[in-house]
Amino acid sequence: MTDRLSMVVCEGTFDKAMMPLILGTTAASMGSEVNVFYTFFGTKLLTKGVKPKLPGMMRFFTGMIVGRMKKMGIPDYEGMMNQAMELGVNFYACSTTLGLMGIKEGDLRPGVKVLGAAAFLKMAQESNVSLFIG
Amino acid sequence: MDKNATLDAKGLMCPMPIVGLAKKAKEMKSGQVLELLSDDVGAREDVPAWCSRTGNQLIGTEEEGKLLKFYIRIK
Repeated sequence: MTDRLSMVVCEGTFDKAMMPLILGTTAASMGSEVNVFYTFFGTKLLTKGVKPKLPGMMRFFTGMIVGRMKKMGIPDYEGMMNQAMELGVNFYACSTTLGLMGIKEGDLRPGVKVLGAAAFLKMAQESNVSLFIG
Repeated sequence: MDKNATLDAKGLMCPMPIVGLAKKAKEMKSGQVLELLSDDVGAREDVPAWCSRTGNQLIGTEEEGKLLKFYIRIK
């Protein structure tokens, strides 16, 4: 049976943004099929040109953390996204949330698909690992 | 140990050594041996885990202080 990892992301801060990308990239490197579903505040993370920040007052330290991660060889959000897509990680934006947050399909980065809850749940049910980020 | 290629992942922290390892393994032929160099603490467990899940064989490990050397036979 293929390894399948499903993740749900419902918050949009930098830490919550990087987690599914790091886990997803690693899982894909281990031969797993990876599906990540973004909903509520997480959906913004799939828009073009987004630059997620650390939560609350820590937002001002985002640059510092990104710099430290780069020194360890870990790319920034944009770089990590590209890496994940290259490895075949599937990204889905919740169709209802798009409507709720006023995000148009054209605002989403290329390669992102739009999906509903039932379709995603089927993927999750057929996954051996399901994680919630947020 | 005899090897067909070396991947120097020194300075990279988890999960980057594994991401690099997966990419390099795809470029190699079945039966070849890849030497992976890493000074990442996580690599000690990451590399055997990767090998176990992907069906590649970890045929040897060497430690030189903080430097870990892994020898993987590509499936």
